[in-house]
Amino acid sequence: MSTHHHHAKDFLFTYVFSTDHKMISKQFLITGFLMGFIGLIMSTLFRLQLGWPGESFQMVELLMGSWQENGVMSPDKYLALVTMHGTIMVFFLLTAGLSGTFSNLLIPLQIGARDMASGFLNMLSYWFFFVSSVIMLISLFVEGGSASAGWTIYPPLSALPQAIPGSGAGMTLWLVSMSIFIVSSLLGSLNYIVTIFNLRTKGMSMTRLPLTIWAFLLTAVLGVLSFPVLLSAALLLVFDRSFGTSFYLSDIYIGGQVLEHSGGSPILFEHLFWFLGHPEVYIVLLPALGITSEIISTMSRKPIFGYRAMIGSMMAIGFLSFIVWGHHMFLTGMNPFLGSVFTFTTLLIAIPSAVKVFNYLTTLWKGNIVFTPATLFSVGLVSTFISGGVTGLVLGNSALDINVHDTYFVIGHFHIVMGLSAIFGMFAGVYHWFPKLFGRMMNNKLGNLHFWFTIVCAYGVFFPMHFLGFAGVPRRYYTNSEFPMFDEMININEFISIFAIVAMIAQLIFFFNFVYSALRGPKAPMNPWKANSLEWTTPVEHFHGNWYGEIPTVYRWPYDYSKVDSNGDYIYGEDFIPQTTPLGENEKDGGEH
Amino acid sequence: MSTLTAENINYKEELKRKTSKPLIWIGIVSIIMFFGGLTSAVIVSQGGGGFLAIEMPFAFTISTFIIVASSLSFHFGLISVKKGNYSAAKLSIIITLIFGLLFVVTQYMGWTFLHDNGYYAAGKESTQESSFLYLLTGLHVVHLIGGLFSLLVVLVKTMKNKYSLENLTGMQVSITYWHFLGALWIYLFLFLRFIIA
Repeated sequence: MSTHHHHAKDFLFTYVFSTDHKMISKQFLITGFLMGFIGLIMSTLFRLQLGWPGESFQMVELLMGSWQENGVMSPDKYLALVTMHGTIMVFFLLTAGLSGTFSNLLIPLQIGARDMASGFLNMLSYWFFFVSSVIMLISLFVEGGSASAGWTIYPPLSALPQAIPGSGAGMTLWLVSMSIFIVSSLLGSLNYIVTIFNLRTKGMSMTRLPLTIWAFLLTAVLGVLSFPVLLSAALLLVFDRSFGTSFYLSDIYIGGQVLEHSGGSPILFEHLFWFLGHPEVYIVLLPALGITSEIISTMSRKPIFGYRAMIGSMMAIGFLSFIVWGHHMFLTGMNPFLGSVFTFTTLLIAIPSAVKVFNYLTTLWKGNIVFTPATLFSVGLVSTFISGGVTGLVLGNSALDINVHDTYFVIGHFHIVMGLSAIFGMFAGVYHWFPKLFGRMMNNKLGNLHFWFTIVCAYGVFFPMHFLGFAGVPRRYYTNSEFPMFDEMININEFISIFAIVAMIAQLIFFFNFVYSALRGPKAPMNPWKANSLEWTTPVEHFHGNWYGEIPTVYRWPYDYSKVDSNGDYIYGEDFIPQTTPLGENEKDGGEH
Repeated sequence: MSTLTAENINYKEELKRKTSKPLIWIGIVSIIMFFGGLTSAVIVSQGGGGFLAIEMPFAFTISTFIIVASSLSFHFGLISVKKGNYSAAKLSIIITLIFGLLFVVTQYMGWTFLHDNGYYAAGKESTQESSFLYLLTGLHVVHLIGGLFSLLVVLVKTMKNKYSLENLTGMQVSITYWHFLGALWIYLFLFLRFIIA
């Protein structure tokens, strides 16, 4: 009995309420991916409606029941799915899923620490995330359906429970879920920052940190500075909805009835929301950029080009992200002069972004590139970061933005630059660090197949959206069949939907590869990619504490690849020099100059 | 091998010593951003049409003196522990706790005054400025209740003579948060005094 009890307790604290950062990382990954898969299915469902508006899909009815009566999605369910897709993808997959997984896995391993600053807070961070995920999913099934005011939940739709079906209980649960999510995110960020600043191993100066760690650090800083502001916005919304205040609501009629609210402004919500919302773009993107830096250098067998410029550009992006939120609000009656200020600050972001792209390309240039799925997804990120970034120049400019505001141009832009870049970074990270996560290798052929299907379909989905946007097709509409001028666009929508369906099916390749490899994949060696950073000096098997014996001392930066002596021979006989190798005589540390 | 795993006591003690203070400081930064967001919201809202002046309750002025006094008494408690004078430390912390509770009482008196003078938190007769006034002060009290819990823990540990010159981290974390709550109240008081009242 006691042995059984002991085993049960062991199981509970090893797999459920673990305080080991590696287990928490896996918990974030799996929960994030499950949420992402649900978000993906949602997008496929509403793409059916957009591609073939009003057409009956009997097969979908079998799956969706009353949500798809007679095989046709109703407008309120369409709005619910669009809202939940955005919320789940932005917050649950690309914020918690991406940052939660890789910050947790890599921060202690790459800086040389036994665990996070507080394992307990780390565990709480995951469980708050889990609870918020469950509440968000439950909100799909309450009366009136889930929140339906778009992922940006602008009032008054979100502030008046009687506005649309999704403004009732679904919206309340959305706010409850997001409040818990914010607490989770803050607890995680606190831990990441303190761990990086205080628990680095001997010799691990800030200029010897892998760029992944710099990216996670800056992401956490952005989170600590911006998520509390979203919490304040959500709190004011809760008070307007439930306690009769008027922070966001002015004199308003609904169904011929005068409501008691007066004096507020929905624009206030936009200010508060986008003060988080824009840094949020980089909370999603920076970890992916950090992961890519690491993989591109390792797989090109070359030092990262412009290490310090990479850190500087991430800092610049982080700083600028706090002074550009107005570019989401050019059409709110903003003073044109203020609009030009926000245009200026927004366009400045192009500079550090271009520095990063230049450095990726120059690192790859003449490299001895090893093509793994992780390399492909990293290069894919560079591609989407460029193609999505270029359209950002259009939207960041108030004079141009006014023409395509709230059209499919915006959808195309942010899905490519933020959605695809971040998910590519996440896939790259999973393929690259899978041996560290599960002690086994993923199948490269399936990985390559997954990449090619994904990138072709992704561009097939999002590139044509720019043309829809130029034609003025508005976002979030259930159907455009009432507008004859958009009739000729229906073919483009059909084209997009076909690619969306194929893209969804292609993800099954990844899920199969992931699950099969985790259970049956070939056993991983300790350092399969011949990489320099510290995580590859830990044993393959997991145990709490990461290293047997002393934590290794670090003597150099992590990008000493293909380093040759004056005769052109590799120093130490290999094309990589782990961070734990002491500097030779007259040898300089790459991070220090 | 006992020094090599994360479960080791020495490791945990060192970890606590190294990370507790930075954790509370970064937590404080996030609270600053939270109140920064809310007070910015007041300024943005005020720009929309101007606020009517609200008569600030005198109880809030008393609150200000009380919270400053509580910070001083807590600090005196810390100094007493450092000097090994535990009886003075216990007394100081009890006084701090009483000041903390008195602060909450004076806040409540302030809200009652506002309500009696026709300034409502919500509903038909409320205004944006009155709602903000209740919200900002109320949220500060919510944070202060967290501080009172930490004070209770410090009190229990002081009673058990758990603190010493070498082991002060828990008390220092609590005092940092408490001083911050005082500073936050002074900011809110001045902000409300000059923006809304």
